[in-house]
Amino acid sequence: MQLKRTIFFIILLVIICAGFIGINKNVSTAKRVPFTVPKGWPKPVYDFSKNPLTEEGIALGKRLFYDGQLSKDGTISCGSCHQQFGAFNSYDHPLSHGLENALTTRNAPALFNLAWQKEFMWDGGINHLDLQPLAPITAHNEMGEDIDNVLTKLKKNKQYPKLFKAAFGDETINTQRLGKALSQFLLTMVSSNSKYDRVMRGEDSFLLSEKLGHDIFKTKCAQCHAAPLFTDYSYRNTGMPLEPFLKDLGRMTITNDAADSLKFRVPSLRNVSVSFPYGHDGRFFSLINVFEHYRNNMQIGPTTDVLLKNKLPLSNYEIGQLRAFLQTLTDSVFLKDPRFSEPGIGVNSNPPLDQHN
Amino acid sequence: MLLGFNNMATSQSTVQFKMMFNNQTFHKDSSYTNSAGDTVQIHRFMFYTNKWKLITSNNDTIHLSKDHFLINIEKEQSMALTFPKLANATKIIFDIGVDSILNTTGIQTGILDPAIGMFWTWRTGYIMAKLHGVSPQAKTAGNRFSYEVGGFQSPYNSVRTIVLELPTHREKSKPITIQTNMANWFNGKHPIQIGITPNCHNAGKLAMQLADNYATMFSIDPSN
Repeated sequence: MQLKRTIFFIILLVIICAGFIGINKNVSTAKRVPFTVPKGWPKPVYDFSKNPLTEEGIALGKRLFYDGQLSKDGTISCGSCHQQFGAFNSYDHPLSHGLENALTTRNAPALFNLAWQKEFMWDGGINHLDLQPLAPITAHNEMGEDIDNVLTKLKKNKQYPKLFKAAFGDETINTQRLGKALSQFLLTMVSSNSKYDRVMRGEDSFLLSEKLGHDIFKTKCAQCHAAPLFTDYSYRNTGMPLEPFLKDLGRMTITNDAADSLKFRVPSLRNVSVSFPYGHDGRFFSLINVFEHYRNNMQIGPTTDVLLKNKLPLSNYEIGQLRAFLQTLTDSVFLKDPRFSEPGIGVNSNPPLDQHN
Repeated sequence: MLLGFNNMATSQSTVQFKMMFNNQTFHKDSSYTNSAGDTVQIHRFMFYTNKWKLITSNNDTIHLSKDHFLINIEKEQSMALTFPKLANATKIIFDIGVDSILNTTGIQTGILDPAIGMFWTWRTGYIMAKLHGVSPQAKTAGNRFSYEVGGFQSPYNSVRTIVLELPTHREKSKPITIQTNMANWFNGKHPIQIGITPNCHNAGKLAMQLADNYATMFSIDPSN
């Protein structure tokens, strides 16, 4: 009996060991990095089982994010239009600049908490984070490059094949791995350490104006800009008239449904004080412009959101308190986190003087 | 289904696409006239296909492959697909397009790598089929017309299933030749005029019409 049991355990041990050898042969030995969901936040929508975070994968993604080789002439990286001091928006640019002074047609959004976001772009046209970088890489007025050329440049590079091997187990460089590496870096960009978060965790308390602003926010704004992500990721027409030059119909471009005309994704309001200008085409210079839009300038049309059919009445007093509250959503830890900063430049780069808010 | 795979794997057979423009064999450098009277010269013609299966004389379904294939007139070898033996089949069935699940699960590899260029980067989704060429009727730069058909979600799902009856007395060892009549892009079901719609680069009504049209372009070569 004893012998049988011993044999059984030896066999079991061999099977387990063989299993490990089998796993290690195909999957890299990269060091796993756990993804921490801030307390009280929903479950991320990104499927980490298909792309587990590793130190090597995140490092590769960061290098790619700041590498101009992803653009046609080598001058524009993802980081060119997604700057850390603006919470990775295109700081102070209504529309960002692409290759050879080309202007884009939309405001480059701030980047954070992407693990919770199901669809991307102002119109939601892209349905997976891994795919998102292919849009700016290939757009003629952004980075203007063919995916195939990007892969060729990376394969020829002395470093990249080794870095892909470290992250994914072998030197294969393909679009899928490019997207996965960039996603790994982007997924680590979690912004959850604003004053608001500290107050919610009981580590800090609001000033009176912030508290009053929070109460007003909960009744007038939170239906769409819902905590803790400060967006519900829906598409809504907030009464912004059609821009006559850009003629951007938003969500309707993707669905071909007239009911989606002029609807755009509800942006998160985290880090809103540093991520001006606002709106899908950057038409609002400051928060004051946004408040003015909601209370006076909205153009009510057939697809205007039902919550805004009578515009959004706001008194001067309410605007003052709301501004105080919105400033508590600035995550200074995130804005200065060296894990995300451009190699060689670091977090010491300072934004130009803020004349906006 | 698994049984089917195993039994059929003993020998192989080939499906060959034969490119036509109406009843002429297609040549890349030749000009053709479509039913609207437009003169066309075609430079690029590619489409994805998958879900190949057979219906046998007993009405059983035999799945031939789980793979996607990209048929490309510029690559001769892409126009021949090799499958397990096609014995006793009365029908051959396949999809034109890319399975919807592969449009919603991130980046794919191999023949479905977006680097191949059959993928929209600004809105997620595969280009199921594309036809590029020139026509004097196209009022565009270089008189180019460019049809790229995609869309995988209702009501603009551009995937089409093709069902072809196989001749009853077919010689089993011979390849099945599928004639592919590119002229049908312009008139298979909906009349398309290059002068009016020279471009299709989005999912929607025009893409659906083009997909309806090219879904009619396949037929079994009578010499089979």
